Amino acid sequence: MKPNLPPVPAPIPLNRKLIVLDPAHGGVDSGSRISDSAVEKDVTLALAFRLRSLLTARGFTVVMTREADVPSVPGAAGAALTLDDRAGIANHEHAAACLVLHATGSGTGVHLYRSELEGTAGQPTVVPWLTAQAPWIHESQLLEKQVAMAFSRSGIALVTSNASVRPIDSLTCPALVFELAPAGDDADSINDTAYQQRVALAIAGAMLFWQNEVQPPARLAVTTNAAGNNAAGSRP
Amino acid sequence: MIRRHQRIVFWCLVVCIVGMGALLALGRQRGRQRIEALAADQTPLDAPTAMAETVTLELANDDEGTIMPVSRQIALPPEPNARARALIDHLIAEYALPGSPHALTPGAAVAEVFLLPLPLVGYTTDSSSTASKDGGFRPTLPVGSDDPDQLRAKQPGGELAVIDLHSAFVNQHPSGVEVESLTLRSILGTLHANLPQIEQVRFLVDGQARETLAGHADLLRTYPAADTSTSGTAANQGQSK
Repeated sequence: MKPNLPPVPAPIPLNRKLIVLDPAHGGVDSGSRISDSAVEKDVTLALAFRLRSLLTARGFTVVMTREADVPSVPGAAGAALTLDDRAGIANHEHAAACLVLHATGSGTGVHLYRSELEGTAGQPTVVPWLTAQAPWIHESQLLEKQVAMAFSRSGIALVTSNASVRPIDSLTCPALVFELAPAGDDADSINDTAYQQRVALAIAGAMLFWQNEVQPPARLAVTTNAAGNNAAGSRP
Repeated sequence: MIRRHQRIVFWCLVVCIVGMGALLALGRQRGRQRIEALAADQTPLDAPTAMAETVTLELANDDEGTIMPVSRQIALPPEPNARARALIDHLIAEYALPGSPHALTPGAAVAEVFLLPLPLVGYTTDSSSTASKDGGFRPTLPVGSDDPDQLRAKQPGGELAVIDLHSAFVNQHPSGVEVESLTLRSILGTLHANLPQIEQVRFLVDGQARETLAGHADLLRTYPAADTSTSGTAANQGQSK
């Protein structure tokens, strides 16, 4: 007689042609001051617009968490957009990639980060908000490699590392943080149109390859405990 | 005409007045010298009971994006909570020195450090419990902590360090993914190197939870205390050009 194995839900399908861009900061939150004439929130939004154009031209649908200086909650005009709201917007889209855009005046080139969380084997039915990225760590690592190859081809300096940057740990998609640094010693070179275009082209090129590679993580079986409560269990 | 005995009395009085004036001047001079000697003496009223010991500070470098272990001779208090706080204070003081490769503004960074034994549990009343010895209280996970494995100690005696930062320090911290991450990793690595019983670290700001350090690094999550020096995370670092 076969034991009654708990059902294993099918992986949540991804929209391979959809990319979420999160230009960090906005409104009263200016982010870091890069130079006398540049603040982080403006640089991230400019890069996001540039990247959206290039991705759309390649057939992607792009969802941005903010399209103006002051971010607001969709459907609730005037309400400030929190970091959790940004993660919520991204998680609802089931995107092939979620790219969080930051900028800094220190260093050169692009700093690329993925979550510091340790990867888990599968996605539980009930996802802990602060560690929702854990089942997606493997996919984020693969995306990081794809992006690193694209930057290597483009000849743009890239430093990769891990960091816990809100809200990346709460994203249920392959997620990376891009921190754009100046092209050279001059901090204002971060606003150089040609430089930003090269960076955006490298990212858009990487997404073109990535859409064929991305796979959603397996989901863990739903078990029912003695009290009748549903809980996430390991795959039998 | 003044009589002879009156002249003798007069001169005796003059001698007494001069003598008393000289004694007064001498006493004032001695008092001044004693005060000057006290002012010049830098000996602390309470001599430190702790001997200087060798500790490892994990120092960050913004230009290289690295964290390197450095040894220092520091007198630390014996009590673990005060020891953890003193370590972080010394670490931040290093960053406030002129020419620091990870420049932070000088000043007190830490209000308090609390060390809590793991596993971390709260208590709730269990109406269905018939046990009377614990008054119907049973251990439970804190609100918002739905992963019990995160709250268990890996080693017996493992502790969670809750670091309460001053908002003045946090508000003046430089903004950026790398610079904020380096500060946190530097604190985590220094605690791990000198207080190995600390397995996990959480951060508060003026006693309250705060989303980020200066707009980037996550302050809501529980960090594992681990070796954060560059040699320890070399596998995670990469560079392409």
